[in-house]
Amino acid sequence: MGIPAAFRWLSTKYPKIISPVVEEKPLVLEDGSVVPVDATQPNPNGEEFDNLYLDMNGIVHPCSHPEDKPAPRDEEEMMIEVFKYTERVFNMVRPRKLLMIAVDGVAPRAKMNQQRSRRFRAAQDAKEKEEDKQQLLKMLRKENGSKDKEEPIEVVVKKAFDSNSITPGTPFMDILAASLRYWCAYKLNTDPAWAKIKVIISDATVPGEGEHKIMEFVRSQRNSPEHDPNTRHVIYGLDADLIMLGLATHEPHFRVLREDVFFQQGKARMCKLCGQTGHDERNCKGEAKEKNGDFDEKGKVEPLKPFIWLHVSILREYLAIELNVPNLPFRWDLERAIDDWVFMCFFVGNDFLPHLPALEIRENGIETLMAIWKDNLPVMGGYVTKDGHVDLERAQYILSGLAKQEDSIFRRRKEAEDRREASFKRRKLNQQGNGRGGGNQDSPLSGRGRKGAPEANGPPAGMNLFPVASIPKPVITHDTVVNRRAVEQANVANKSAASVLKSQIQGLMSQAQEKQDGDEPNEEGEATKTPPSALGKRKAELIEEDAASTTDATSDSKTPAAASSEDGPTDTVRLWEEGYADRYYEQKFKVDPKDIAFRHKVARAYVEGLAWVLMYYFQGCPSWEWFYPYHYAPFAADFVDLGKMTIKFEKGRISRPFEQLMSVLPAASRHAIPEVFHDLMIKEDSPILDFYPEEFEIDLNGKKMSWQGIALLPFIEMPRLLAAMETKVHLLSPEDQARNVPGHDVLLISDAHPGLYEDITTHFYSKKQGVPKFKLDPKRSSGLAGTVEKIEGYVPHGSLVYPLERNTMPDVDYDRSLSVYYIMPSSSHTHKSMLLRGLKMPTPALDRSDVDFVRSKGRNAGR
Amino acid sequence: MALKFPVYPPSRYGGESEPVKRPKEFACFSYDKDHMFRLDDSSLKWYYPPDIGVDLSRGSDTFIKHDDSIDEHLDSLLKTIKAHEQQTGEPIDAHVVTWRGMLTKIMATPFDDEAFEMNATLYRDCIFIEEHHGFKEQKRQMENSRKGQRFPSSLMQYWGYKFETLSTLPRPWGETTREYIEGRDEEVVNNKEQYCSVVRTGFGKSIVCLGGEVDAIWDAKPGTPGDPINWVELKTSAEIRNHTDQFKFDRKLMRYWIQSFLLGVPKIIVGFRTQDGILSKVEELKTMSIPHEVQRRGLVKWDGNVCIKFTSLFLDWIRLNINDEGVWRIRRRQKSDHIELFKVEEV
Ligand SMILES: [Mg+2]
Repeated sequence: MGIPAAFRWLSTKYPKIISPVVEEKPLVLEDGSVVPVDATQPNPNGEEFDNLYLDMNGIVHPCSHPEDKPAPRDEEEMMIEVFKYTERVFNMVRPRKLLMIAVDGVAPRAKMNQQRSRRFRAAQDAKEKEEDKQQLLKMLRKENGSKDKEEPIEVVVKKAFDSNSITPGTPFMDILAASLRYWCAYKLNTDPAWAKIKVIISDATVPGEGEHKIMEFVRSQRNSPEHDPNTRHVIYGLDADLIMLGLATHEPHFRVLREDVFFQQGKARMCKLCGQTGHDERNCKGEAKEKNGDFDEKGKVEPLKPFIWLHVSILREYLAIELNVPNLPFRWDLERAIDDWVFMCFFVGNDFLPHLPALEIRENGIETLMAIWKDNLPVMGGYVTKDGHVDLERAQYILSGLAKQEDSIFRRRKEAEDRREASFKRRKLNQQGNGRGGGNQDSPLSGRGRKGAPEANGPPAGMNLFPVASIPKPVITHDTVVNRRAVEQANVANKSAASVLKSQIQGLMSQAQEKQDGDEPNEEGEATKTPPSALGKRKAELIEEDAASTTDATSDSKTPAAASSEDGPTDTVRLWEEGYADRYYEQKFKVDPKDIAFRHKVARAYVEGLAWVLMYYFQGCPSWEWFYPYHYAPFAADFVDLGKMTIKFEKGRISRPFEQLMSVLPAASRHAIPEVFHDLMIKEDSPILDFYPEEFEIDLNGKKMSWQGIALLPFIEMPRLLAAMETKVHLLSPEDQARNVPGHDVLLISDAHPGLYEDITTHFYSKKQGVPKFKLDPKRSSGLAGTVEKIEGYVPHGSLVYPLERNTMPDVDYDRSLSVYYIMPSSSHTHKSMLLRGLKMPTPALDRSDVDFVRSKGRNAGR
Repeated sequence: MALKFPVYPPSRYGGESEPVKRPKEFACFSYDKDHMFRLDDSSLKWYYPPDIGVDLSRGSDTFIKHDDSIDEHLDSLLKTIKAHEQQTGEPIDAHVVTWRGMLTKIMATPFDDEAFEMNATLYRDCIFIEEHHGFKEQKRQMENSRKGQRFPSSLMQYWGYKFETLSTLPRPWGETTREYIEGRDEEVVNNKEQYCSVVRTGFGKSIVCLGGEVDAIWDAKPGTPGDPINWVELKTSAEIRNHTDQFKFDRKLMRYWIQSFLLGVPKIIVGFRTQDGILSKVEELKTMSIPHEVQRRGLVKWDGNVCIKFTSLFLDWIRLNINDEGVWRIRRRQKSDHIELFKVEEV
């Protein structure tokens, strides 16, 4: 949810929501042969699951640029990685009824602004990284002194995959869709664990974000009278807000599955030049990779990262205790209370709005809101939200409550910062005396009560905090590069690959003469996480922001606002000093500080945004065109008279894939856009050239690190964009045009599926075939409701052809699977946040002591 | 001269159980809010659990009550069967046609003292059985004048209908608004509205066609006609606080079981109420497991298999004896050890 750090916050506050996944691994026999996991066997986690939903971008991203092994050589290798990873997840969950694979399609406009910001930053980072690489290469060549090594290095160090290609409408997404369809059909043909399941693939041609398409599916099934309320759902994905979406379904048998991103083990060294393991860049011979085994599996000595469960049902238990307000003048309804809680979480962060300045998850922003909510609930006369709709009058209570505390929150924040800085300086001095500090394996499963906790209200414990101003200058000498050990440690030193290289180069270039006096700078951040490589990936963000103030360590960051290493960013708004609102509006919004009406306008837009987000989570996208038109949030105090507001959304027009690409990609990633549009991004005379700035300002907005700042990109003006594109559309090739139209969800089943297979074949492929569309009978489809439609031109029982070049996987001569278009039952009836009849609640997981734990913490929290 | 069919001892109906057929719905009809007959499922209701703590007496003053002092005979059932026959072009193949209530009384006889009177007639090789209305009215008058109850029996009857209103929806949950669901306590209770299922079932060698009201459906009618339907029977009962309550409840369970068994209702939902008629708990019972559960508790002795065998042999017996188209009376006096059959009207 763009509540970065939400996952860590949740897992610290509600520890029992997490448990490790018991994973059966393929068996490697003495002779080296591998016995694959037999997923028809009972689930080793002691419980069976019905439906598995994959938020597929959470698989594609890490597979395209893995952090712990070499990047795939090409797209085919990438697909094989995706298959392997998906299979691993499948075998962990072993869904018995349904697998849904959802890839992000075109997103609502409100989301595109964030995507745009991520992608522009990614391009900027990639550019810097590439420059660094080239510099290091030059340097190494000089050092190696041998000319003949130049060539191979050039060959092996290829241009990195542009993760910006993972956007709907690109050729890459086409390959992905075809590969997934092939692979699922292949599994349906060959793996008995798949024989009876239904597979739904919602590829990038189907509009909507992956996880929201999944939610729409769950909601649609829930409205079907034949839906089993005890369906066990598992959703895989990286976003911490999947747990919020899980809550929003009001299906208590819901789990989120994800990698344990905090799990760190001695990482194998990886060469930053050729991306191979077993040597580092110092020793890179630039030799082509030797394949170990068919899929290079032997090259992978890394133990696989373990997975964890996040139990929505247990979070519900915690919330039932936490949110309980006795003696209400109306009926207590946990489902409604949970919705209000989810709503309040949006205040602290979401992908569609900047968060309110007063609310930081690390400063217990959610607790603050919860306390206000509990105090006000009896007088509000009811809940703030209802099935995804905000009661604005009641929302005003919450915001007014927050407004009262706003000034003091800012003051306390400043005080805490000052204390941290002081204590950091103290520790720094101590460490210089004592040598290196200790490591810290920081997994949420193991790492409660972490070491080195800074003050309360500060960032999570275990983090080392470096305000930019006090970053210790990396002490880099020639040895740092020559000495392999130091290079390895540099990786650990809480910096991105780019910044590690950069600092090395800087060290070398300037021939820094500082001596190492037994104080290796790299020790400093040993405990911290994979750093913000700023590739714009969610995963990085998740970890990053969790790692709070991990420093970028780049002493001369190119982003102007990041300021110099000496002075630190100068925060001219000074929220802790009187008059901050005037300064804020003047500096950020460039409006007259006396223009109070403007502030109210911003606040109203923000409230619209909150209402939009709530609808988006509970009912589906209320408007495809709405977006928050500012880079900054208002203050709580700016929300007035909300009760008098009425909010209405127009569904609006869903963008075409190329429009989305043109809206979110920087010119540097134009290779992913049909060539006919390139001129619009780069040519001087383009009427929309201003949408694609190469340089843009990043406003730290009071934060310390550039990646925490706000990219001040111009907002896309849709009419102008569309008009400009209109002049080029007729030039599109037929293939490109085909990629620009919305597609369908596809349902795949095998002929072993009882009932359903028969129904489909009789309707579509028998003598008495009728209309090319029919409504599924959930009693014959083991619960699936919806309509299926014949795919024109598709003939079952043909051969299944592997869609990629190198034939890494086989064709199947007689394809026993069947594909049809799938249409979810229409959601004309809105979602209701209620439990369904016949639901059997999961056995409670919390005991007395957990209850007491929550109660005692809850008593003073947020007040 | 009356023929007699012996009731006791129940053990004579033990041993080898009789083959029974699963009831299959082949037609249905509805009474609308004004008790007008409709040949469709428009009055079908969906189950959704009620809020606990509701006062079941609430709204009793606005209760729209069906006047059942008028004898409706088998009218609606016959209309429905006739329509079905016209539609298929074939007469139904049943040996016995009646309301579910009649067969319930018969089936309960081995373990029950209740008196009943029914009229039967043979038409087209099929015996039609209906309640002897006059007798029922008489019996009810006597029960109503019974004293010592805390609440009038009319109010206690209302509790049952109120519970149905609180527990059902006119459309599936997914198509119903939150406002309706949460406002069910405000709905006017109306027992004129009914959905009736018409099923074909079998006892031993007899094919029986039964009509009976079903309270609600759990999910949806199956796409394939004749497939089992997840009906829900709704009941209210006093809270079980002690052994005596449990004993009374287990005895009641026999009727619950028979009623649901006859129409193929797999699930019974019991709303337990306090002495004052406050809904305090809702429990789901599986019809199929009731006989076993009761046996396991061992407080009350009744045996489902005996009920079935008794009914089966009884049906054989009347089919053998009702041999002309006159009107016959089937009668059991209270606590009597036999059921009588005699002709009350010549052809
Ligand atoms: Mg997504």
